[in-house]
Amino acid sequence: MSAQPSTRADEVVVGGFPVRTDRLYDPGSHLWVRPMPDGIVRVGMDALNVETTGTLAGLDFLPEGTPLRRGTPYGTVEAAKFVGPLATPVSSLLVRGNPAVLADPGLIEREPYDGGWLVELRPTDWDDEAPALLSDVTALRAWMSAEVADYRERGLIAE
Amino acid sequence: MASSPRRLRVLDFGTVTPLRSQTSWHALGYGRSDPDEATLSFARPRAPYVCLGRHRSFAEVDHETLQLLGLPLLRRMAGGGPVYLDAQQLFFQVTLPTSAVPARRDLALAQLLAPAVSALRRLGVDAVFDARGEISVGGAKVCGHGAAQIEDHVIVVGNLIRGFDHERASRVLATASPTTTAEVQRLMERYVAATPVDPTAWRTAMVEEYAALLGATPVTGRLRVNEQRALTRLDSEFASRGWIRHVDRPTGEVRTIKVRAGVWVHEWAHDGGATVLSVTDGRVDSVLVEGLPTSDLRTFVGAPLDEVRRVLTDRTTHPLATALAAMPAARVSA
Repeated sequence: MSAQPSTRADEVVVGGFPVRTDRLYDPGSHLWVRPMPDGIVRVGMDALNVETTGTLAGLDFLPEGTPLRRGTPYGTVEAAKFVGPLATPVSSLLVRGNPAVLADPGLIEREPYDGGWLVELRPTDWDDEAPALLSDVTALRAWMSAEVADYRERGLIAE
Repeated sequence: MASSPRRLRVLDFGTVTPLRSQTSWHALGYGRSDPDEATLSFARPRAPYVCLGRHRSFAEVDHETLQLLGLPLLRRMAGGGPVYLDAQQLFFQVTLPTSAVPARRDLALAQLLAPAVSALRRLGVDAVFDARGEISVGGAKVCGHGAAQIEDHVIVVGNLIRGFDHERASRVLATASPTTTAEVQRLMERYVAATPVDPTAWRTAMVEEYAALLGATPVTGRLRVNEQRALTRLDSEFASRGWIRHVDRPTGEVRTIKVRAGVWVHEWAHDGGATVLSVTDGRVDSVLVEGLPTSDLRTFVGAPLDEVRRVLTDRTTHPLATALAAMPAARVSA
C-alpha cells in the first residue's frame, strides 16, 4: 500500500489514514507523542486508533501528578458502551488531562492530532524508552501501511 | 473468537443486594487471567436502584426522586447512561481474557452478545442484534448491555428486561421540566419492552449458547480466593461517595437522554420554559416548546433533523433554532 498525498507538509496519508510526521508514535498503542517545551510530551490517539475505537462517549484521566509506567493505564475511554484503558506510551508523571476532550469527547474524532490531544506527561525514562517510538517518515509509512492492511484483513476497518 | 477459552465457568450469584449485583461481577475482572477459561455469571438484584455508567455525571440523576423512592445510587465501571434496575431484570456477564476478544469494540460486543440473542430466539422470542447495536424485538430494546476492560479481562454485561417500570425509569433521570420526563416515558414505552421469559429456561439456554460460541465445556464454579478479596474491596469502594460522585459535572445547556440507540430526547431549558425535541433515527419524532402552540411546530414532525436545521438557518430567533444551535450535531442525530 503506498502513501497518498496530503495537503499538509507535515502529514502523509497511508491507506486512507493521515499520519502527522512532526511527532513520534507508539506502535503498540497507536498513540502519538509530541515533545513540547519544558520537557513535557503531549499524547493523543492516531487516526487509525480513532477509527477503530468508534464514537467516543466519555473518558477520564488519573489525577495530575500520578506516576505512570509505560503500558499501564492513565485513564479510560468509552465507545459503544465499552470502557477500556488508555495505555501510557512512556513512563512519566501525569501533568494534566485535556479539559476540552473531557467536556467534548467528539473533539478527539474531529481533531485527533490537534485540539483532541488527551494528556500531557513528564517522561521519567525518556532516553531509554524514546527509541521504541517511531518518528522516521519511512518507518512510519511502513508501520501504518502494515497496520492498516492487518486491520482490514481482520475486518476491524472497512475495505 | 480471537483465541477461544476451553472452559466456561458458570457462576450464579443468585438474588443479591443492589451493591453486590454490581460488585460481584466486577470482582471477576481482578481474578487471575486464564487464557483457557471464560466465565458466564448471573445475578438478580433484590431491590431496585439506579446505576450510572463509568463516565456519566452524578448530575444526570434526579436525586430528589431517588430519595423519595428510597433508591440507592451506584456506579459501574462499564459504559452507558444512568439506568433504573430492579428484580424484574436478569443480569448476566461474560468475562474473558482480553486475548480472546476482538480489538474493535463494536465487533467484540456484537460477537459476545450474539449468544444472548440466540438464547432468546430458542425460547421463542424474535430477538435480533439490530443495526443500532441493541438487542431488540420489533424495534424495542429488550436487554441492556455495556462492557469494560478490567485489568486483563473484558467483561460484557447485560440485563434481560422481564418487566419494566417505564414510569420510574423516566422519573429517576434529571430534567428541567416535567414535559421532558413525560416525553422520555412516552418513548420508553414505545422503545423499551419486557420479555417475560422463564428465568430457568433462559439461564439454561444462555449457558448452552455461550458454550457453543466459545467451543468450551461449561463447568459450575465459584469465586476464587483472589476474587473474594476483590469483592470485599469493591463492596467498600463502590459504596464510597468518591466513586459514586467520580464524575459530577453540570449536564450542559442541552440535556440529552438516550432512550435506546438512535432514540434521543433533547431538552433545552430557557427563561420561557423548556424546548423538548425527540429524534428517532435522525428524524424529528416530536417537538414541544413550552409557551408556543404545538400547531406552530407540527410541520417539523417527521422531518429529517438536517432538513429542520436548514429550514431554521435564517430564523435564528425561533426557539427550536436556538435549541438546535446549542446541540452538538453528532449527538443529536446519532
